[in-house]
Amino acid sequence: MAATPGSTSTLLEVRNLTVRFRTRDGVVQAVSDLSFSLRRGDTLGVVGESGSGKSVTSLAVMGLLNRAYADIEGEILFEGRDLLKLSPAELREVRGRDVSMIFQDPFACLHPMYRVGDQIAEAVRAHQDVPKKQAGDRAVELLGAVGIPNAKVRARDYPHQFSGGMRQRAMIAMALVHNPDVLIADEPTTALDVTVQAQILELIDRVKREFDVGVILITHDLGVVAETATHVMVMYAGRSVEQGIASEIFGSAQHPYTWGLLESMPSVERKLDVLVPIEGSPPSLLHPPSGCAFHPRCNYRFEPCSSKLPSLEPIAGGHLDACHLSPERKREVWRTKIAAEIGAPA
Amino acid sequence: MKNPIRKLTWLVGLAAAFAVASAMGASAHTTASSTIKSGGTLNVGWEQAFNFTDNGDPTGEYLGEWFGIADNLLVRTLVGYNHTAGAAGNTIVADIATSVPKPTNGGKTYTFHIKQGVMFSPPVSRQVTCADEVNAMQRLANPKDGGQYAFYYTVIKGWDSYAAGKAKSISGISCPNSSTVVFNLTQPTGDFLFRMAMPATGPQPAEVTKCFEGQAGKYALDLISTAGYMYQGIDQVDISSCSKLKPASGYDGQTQMILVRNPNYKQSTDPTRKNYVDEVRFLIDASDVDIYNKVENGTFDLAESTIPNTVLKKYATDPSLKSHFFQNSGDRTWYLTMNMTQPPFDDVHVRRAMNWIIDKAALRQIWGGPTVGDIANHIVPDTLFNFKLQEYKPYQTAGDHGSVTKARLAMKGSPYADKTGMCTASVCKNVLLIADARAVDPGMVSVIQQDAAKIGITFTVRTINGAYPTVQTVAKNVPISERPGWGKDYADPVTFFEPLFDGRTIIPTGNTNYSLVGITKSQCTKLKVTGDCNTYNPKTGLGVLSVNSMLDKCSPLTGTARTVCYEGMDKYLSTQVVPWVPWMWSKVTRITSSNVTHYQFDQFGTTPAYAMISVKS
Amino acid sequence: MTLYIIRRLLWAVLVVNVVVFITFLVFFKLPNGNPALRFVGKFPTQENIQLAEQRLHLNRPFYIEYFYFVKNFFAGDEYGWPGLGYSYGNYVSVRSEVLQRAPRTLFLIAGAATIWLIFGVAIGVLSAVRRRTAVDRAAMGFALFGISAPVFWLGLMALFLIWKKLGLTDGSGYTPIDQGIGHWFGHLILPWTVLALLYIAIYARLTRNNLLETLGEDYIRTARAKGLSERRVILKHGLRASLTPIVTIFGLDMALLVGGAIITESVFNIQGLGWLAYNGAITQDLPSVLGVVICTATAVALANLIVDILYAFLDPRVRYA
Repeated sequence: MAATPGSTSTLLEVRNLTVRFRTRDGVVQAVSDLSFSLRRGDTLGVVGESGSGKSVTSLAVMGLLNRAYADIEGEILFEGRDLLKLSPAELREVRGRDVSMIFQDPFACLHPMYRVGDQIAEAVRAHQDVPKKQAGDRAVELLGAVGIPNAKVRARDYPHQFSGGMRQRAMIAMALVHNPDVLIADEPTTALDVTVQAQILELIDRVKREFDVGVILITHDLGVVAETATHVMVMYAGRSVEQGIASEIFGSAQHPYTWGLLESMPSVERKLDVLVPIEGSPPSLLHPPSGCAFHPRCNYRFEPCSSKLPSLEPIAGGHLDACHLSPERKREVWRTKIAAEIGAPA
Repeated sequence: MKNPIRKLTWLVGLAAAFAVASAMGASAHTTASSTIKSGGTLNVGWEQAFNFTDNGDPTGEYLGEWFGIADNLLVRTLVGYNHTAGAAGNTIVADIATSVPKPTNGGKTYTFHIKQGVMFSPPVSRQVTCADEVNAMQRLANPKDGGQYAFYYTVIKGWDSYAAGKAKSISGISCPNSSTVVFNLTQPTGDFLFRMAMPATGPQPAEVTKCFEGQAGKYALDLISTAGYMYQGIDQVDISSCSKLKPASGYDGQTQMILVRNPNYKQSTDPTRKNYVDEVRFLIDASDVDIYNKVENGTFDLAESTIPNTVLKKYATDPSLKSHFFQNSGDRTWYLTMNMTQPPFDDVHVRRAMNWIIDKAALRQIWGGPTVGDIANHIVPDTLFNFKLQEYKPYQTAGDHGSVTKARLAMKGSPYADKTGMCTASVCKNVLLIADARAVDPGMVSVIQQDAAKIGITFTVRTINGAYPTVQTVAKNVPISERPGWGKDYADPVTFFEPLFDGRTIIPTGNTNYSLVGITKSQCTKLKVTGDCNTYNPKTGLGVLSVNSMLDKCSPLTGTARTVCYEGMDKYLSTQVVPWVPWMWSKVTRITSSNVTHYQFDQFGTTPAYAMISVKS
Repeated sequence: MTLYIIRRLLWAVLVVNVVVFITFLVFFKLPNGNPALRFVGKFPTQENIQLAEQRLHLNRPFYIEYFYFVKNFFAGDEYGWPGLGYSYGNYVSVRSEVLQRAPRTLFLIAGAATIWLIFGVAIGVLSAVRRRTAVDRAAMGFALFGISAPVFWLGLMALFLIWKKLGLTDGSGYTPIDQGIGHWFGHLILPWTVLALLYIAIYARLTRNNLLETLGEDYIRTARAKGLSERRVILKHGLRASLTPIVTIFGLDMALLVGGAIITESVFNIQGLGWLAYNGAITQDLPSVLGVVICTATAVALANLIVDILYAFLDPRVRYA
């Protein structure tokens, strides 16, 4: 908790993050040249298909990548300190205390053989030298705070005795133990029912406000992002292809991939027979396509796309995208095709 | 060293020093072996388990290793042996009896006088009487008491009636007074004195043995001794009633037998035993390697165990260990047995050819070579004939490797062979051979197969772990086996010939006349013998031969006449009947620790003569 | 849980019964010759053989002998309760033999098991954490040696080097603990080590593989994400979850050694249950064999039960009706 609460200072700034995995089959380019920043009170929605590099990014931030296999370049600045330059011991201090993470499958993420309350208490004692009883009380307190009824009794349960939604709440409680500044949620709702999804998202949002944190919400589902994100970053093949304020992205997306995502997103406003999936499959990160990684699947590709990598260019006010199409063409497509289909304002 | 004179002086000095040292060493040996002192403890390491046939109960015990213990340390008999090696050790002398009696009444009556001063150990503590001798014989006759060689005493009048429960006592044994025992036999029996030297005939106190009626072997835990030692703790046993009887602490049947001096024993009554040591301990140890490690470092003084090959080699070849390495005749023949009713072995030509063709030296090599035994040339080991048949080698070949020429020659005239002397008939192929599953058997089978192939005989080999029961079951009709060995019961050739070649004693299971010598046609039908039970036809060489009448002729004889009779039987069997291919007379090897100052071999049990061994004390 | 335990105990009794029954079947039906023949000398009459069979309880059909045995077992015989009869060869009460030998075997197993569990798991953890380094390869190589070296060779070598040459321990044999704990330990330390070496290999590999698999689980990632020290992650979170298969096997291994440590017991002359079983088997001594069979079968059944109960404690997801 180094930064002063209530301010809008930048908590996390990632600059030119590149992650390569050395595998037996070759070098996998998981993340290339990624840059973004997070301020207190932001919810940054990181969207992309599997293999887009979104999870790897968050693991890099948390320092959970095994440096024996992963080459990481760039900077990850947390309150001025480059996390990539910290020793393992220093990183361990940051992890769980200043930057926390919750994962996709809460059942697999909790140790099946220890009680839930004990696991949360363990998180407390990881960074604070307090007696067991006090840590236990804090665990109960947090379980209550995340909306688990009868928290004191439920704390003595084992994970398999919790429902999916409750488990995720418990994970969130565990992440909040030390009032972190950044909370990373990697696909927090993917393994949950639709009704529970909404509850969890709402909880994350509430937690953000109550605990005054910055949230990175990673998902492949644009719909999840639409509800709660303040900012959006769309990733494809390890790169950011479009990023900006949520209203801008949803109001006038510029990248064909984002268009595809929007078109394939079911919503109440749309007629079901107009669902259009993005054709093709995600690219191999071992041998990525030449030029723009999306071009084999892009309906709007033209001559430079297969040979020249487009760079992230600003359009307006923090809205960036990486595509060779001219701004006029992009606006035109948005107006004529996309906006109508998804029922968004033109 | 440039100066040659200096070099020479040096050399001479070295040689002198060496000579002095070895002289000292040698004299140390002789000094050591000539200082026989009383006292000390003799520790004997025993491999794996005692394996007594009747737990060490004299009535039923048939294990040679136990005979050595009993004879030397626990059980005196009316007549006994000198507890030494060779022919002297196989000679009958007086033990409990005042002298060795000569039979009277045409060889049918033997009268023994019991020495005064021969006492039972505590807690019985009294003079041995005729009644005790009768008690022992009755125990032996009673089938419920586990006697295993009662058949030797059926020549005593009234024995069979008593055994069948028809009489209250054995009419042929009588006690004119408490110190005289008279035996009346049904016929003259030349080896009767040998039979009265067997441990089962040693007197036993009825007040103790009566508690073990019908529980064959249980008396062993409370054995009352008449010799120089007794079980440790036997004196503490309460014999006032059978219910109070508990086993002596010194012997538990499974892990140890501790013997201490018998305080009631009077040395003056016993010229044959010296009883040097104060205590003898037999201790079970599970591993032979461990046992010989302990012999080497003196924890054990002797071992009753197989000897690992490395140990055998070491002691046999190392000159400094020679004084701890002892080899004696084992009075045992190892042989291939051929069933006279099963083709092709129903043909005497084939059986002779087998004696010519087998490489006996190779078989012996598999067992360990010349250290393990001598090549057997006829049925009975030479020691039992006092070496009179030492030069009798009817099938001698160069190096004992067998001879193809002589074998093929012997085959000539056989209905199964062709002109070249090869066994060509169909019965020569795939003959069933029963082998055991010891370490030596695969090698032996291989040698036998190779050799027999040279005269055209091939085998189907069946390996059985523990082959004896199969070979001993007549109905299994085993043609040939490489498993058997036979050791004497006592030093009279009759203990070989009678059980092995008397056709009248063939029994369905547990039979020892594997070759079925002397079997009749009606026996064959009854015992389910397939194959050829016709009497011998000299023209073809096929058929069963018998030595029954020869056995009857020899058995009542005594002295030289007896020996000559049995020598003739061995020759007849070896060349005319040919039931076996004898290949080895095993030696008994014993290794002692450096504590042992005097070692002696007991030829009767082919064991160490425990009563004649001394240790440093 | 109590009901479950009671049910399992009853089941165990049934299993032991079946094992004993099968032993009878094997003994009576397999063609290995009549054991009574050992006790009747060279010229047995049929009557002699029958009398011997009667004494040894071999003359009636095997299922009758089986029931006779079961009845004696529960009612006790002249040697005490449970009634196990006496050894054919030497009238020694099987019950007293078992009672005398069982502690030796149990001490042998307990000591060896402690050693192999501690060292096996420790080596396994070390190997897993230092995967593919020289430490890992050395540890697995040592484990391979432990599995490959035959027990009798290892034992004899150990005795030769450490007892005979270096004089560091007592040699073969066994001293009961009440006769001097120093010698008791001195006699047992070599057989413990030799017996353990074989199993260390197995447990090291098992631990290594289980732990590696566990370390790939999501909750390990969570533990790290909490900021826990790597040691805590591996030992408290990783090892705990890897233990369940190890516990299962551990129980079984120990139980099977009750009658099965024969080679170690022979080489070191421990005179335990293994010797009783082996000697009984080769001399066709049914009562001795039955004594050990019952011990081992009971041990296995109990071990299974204990292991299952332990499993329920270790893994709260497992609940027994």
